[in-house]
Amino acid sequence: MGLREWRNRIAEEAKQGLDRPSPYGMDIDVGSYVGEESGYRLDTESVERVGVDLKAKALYLQVDQAYFKYISRIPGVEIYRLEDYIESYPDEAKEYVWRLLRPSMDKYVAVAALRGMGGYFIRVKKNTRVEDPIMACLFISSHGLQAPHNVVIVEDGAEATVYTGCTIAPEVVGLHIGLSEFYVGRNAKLRFVMVHSWNRVAHVRPRTAVNVSENGEYISYYANLSNLKSLQMYPRVYLGSGAHAYLASIVLGVGDADIDIGSGAVLEDGDSGVEIVSRNIARDSSRIVMRASIVGRGGRGHIDCRGLMLSNSSVIATIPELHAESPDAILTHEASIGRLAEDEIYYLMSKGFTRDEAIGILVRGFVSIDIKGIPDKVRSYIETIERLTTEKAM
Amino acid sequence: MALHSCSSVMCVDKLTVGVGSKTVLKDVSFSVDRGSILFLLGPNGTGKTSLLRTLIGYPGYSVVSGRILFEGEDITHSSMEYRVSKGLAISHQIPPKLTGVRVVDLLNSICRRTGCSVDEIADELEIGYLLNREFGKGFSGGELKRIEIATVVAQRPKLALIDEPDSGVDVDSIAVIAKALKKLVDLSTYKSIIVITHSAAIAKHIRPTHVCIMLSGSVRLCGDDSILDEVFNYGFKGVAK
Repeated sequence: MGLREWRNRIAEEAKQGLDRPSPYGMDIDVGSYVGEESGYRLDTESVERVGVDLKAKALYLQVDQAYFKYISRIPGVEIYRLEDYIESYPDEAKEYVWRLLRPSMDKYVAVAALRGMGGYFIRVKKNTRVEDPIMACLFISSHGLQAPHNVVIVEDGAEATVYTGCTIAPEVVGLHIGLSEFYVGRNAKLRFVMVHSWNRVAHVRPRTAVNVSENGEYISYYANLSNLKSLQMYPRVYLGSGAHAYLASIVLGVGDADIDIGSGAVLEDGDSGVEIVSRNIARDSSRIVMRASIVGRGGRGHIDCRGLMLSNSSVIATIPELHAESPDAILTHEASIGRLAEDEIYYLMSKGFTRDEAIGILVRGFVSIDIKGIPDKVRSYIETIERLTTEKAM
Repeated sequence: MALHSCSSVMCVDKLTVGVGSKTVLKDVSFSVDRGSILFLLGPNGTGKTSLLRTLIGYPGYSVVSGRILFEGEDITHSSMEYRVSKGLAISHQIPPKLTGVRVVDLLNSICRRTGCSVDEIADELEIGYLLNREFGKGFSGGELKRIEIATVVAQRPKLALIDEPDSGVDVDSIAVIAKALKKLVDLSTYKSIIVITHSAAIAKHIRPTHVCIMLSGSVRLCGDDSILDEVFNYGFKGVAK
């Protein structure tokens, strides 16, 4: 199939999904965001606030659907804008693009397929071990739609960290639909850190699917640091034989945010494993639904969802799902929702902390997740995220 | 004891305390002098923990009558925050688990305020291997107690209030804890400390200068350390009858 024909097929399939709402989260009228794009402006301060280093050795930067910059000074790491990759390697691209996500999945994916632009293609070549994080920034500066399509391939035996920061200019009414298809090769390792910092009128609908081959490892750490109007995402990870994943999310609900977020995993056999960890803090009148699902055809999976209520008018719900398709699957979950324990606050006050300091210590503890086996640099990013989350939660 | 003439480090006069609708302490009086290592002894459930919590100003303990003076100042109705800032510190019998809070982070936060050295404290209390663990999670009785005492050492208080340092603790840990209590006496501006115990096992390592016996929410008897030997011989009730 030629490239043009392939694109037409994707478009035709996408059109079938245009009226299909997501089964989860607040429904929004995507039509009002299409065609509103105007001039762009990069706000470097906002970008740095989500931890992106614009001087990184390997970087992808996208502003709205208008400005794209990419560079890799790391041997063994390729970065392209997705369209440029497809043009350069059309036959190979068809093996990776639109293979894990369906264009008709829902109306957000459909719109992204039809009207989206940009997104990064990152390839870490076979057996390449990358110390420095590969940075990506997706910034919305003007009203309208931003729908990048990202593809990451970590080839067999390779190892890398991709750090993505997504943010928006204040008061800009934007819809972000980030499509992501990740491929982790045999014995390869991908650590994916994504930090969101939106504004009170932004809608966010990421769609992510990850395929982890035999004995591969995928570690995902997602954090939402600030207010937004609505967020819905439910990434899926498919784990091959002996593959493992650790999926962590830290979500802060502020203002009247409507958040429906989860992680799902499919375990192929008895040697695969997944741990899904979710920490959610609801402030003001925010609403958070925490979802998690594991389908086990074998293997071990565990879900750990915790919600912290910091106001009387917020709402948190947890919906963990375990599906065993084999008696060999060992699947467990634990979930809890509550407020900070007064006794713990008093305890810390008895150690000389003010009430606010005590609450800060406990909130910081709540969002702290001990991820084993991550490089110090990634750990320092995560510690910064934990600190920022705590500050924003207070 | 007439409070207007109290020149002790701490004076407690006819203190009656309620928790909810229940009276947990009744007419409790005693004082802590300079250089006093005061052991408050009594059987379980007699109000010892309630007394320490009242002294530190822990929320939920309401003083119905009586007064508490520390360094000559009436702190009866002062907030816990204020009392701690004045130099009081409490070692809780059972500290809570603090999810996600590492021991080292909590000690660092206290030491930033007081100028103490976490490494030094960790050496003294033999808790180096626990520093990166979540506070209180999966600790043995001895480990929990040593961590808790470590937080008090880090606070460098003028007067430490220690609740049951020897309950649920192995023999080796008791020796380490006793050493830390001696350090707390050294750190104290007044070389004083209050220790609550129902077994007095800690007395093998640190000898009190003063002993008070509590029964049924009241202090029944105070005197020198000879009371301790009488307790071992005749029991609490035999001594305080």
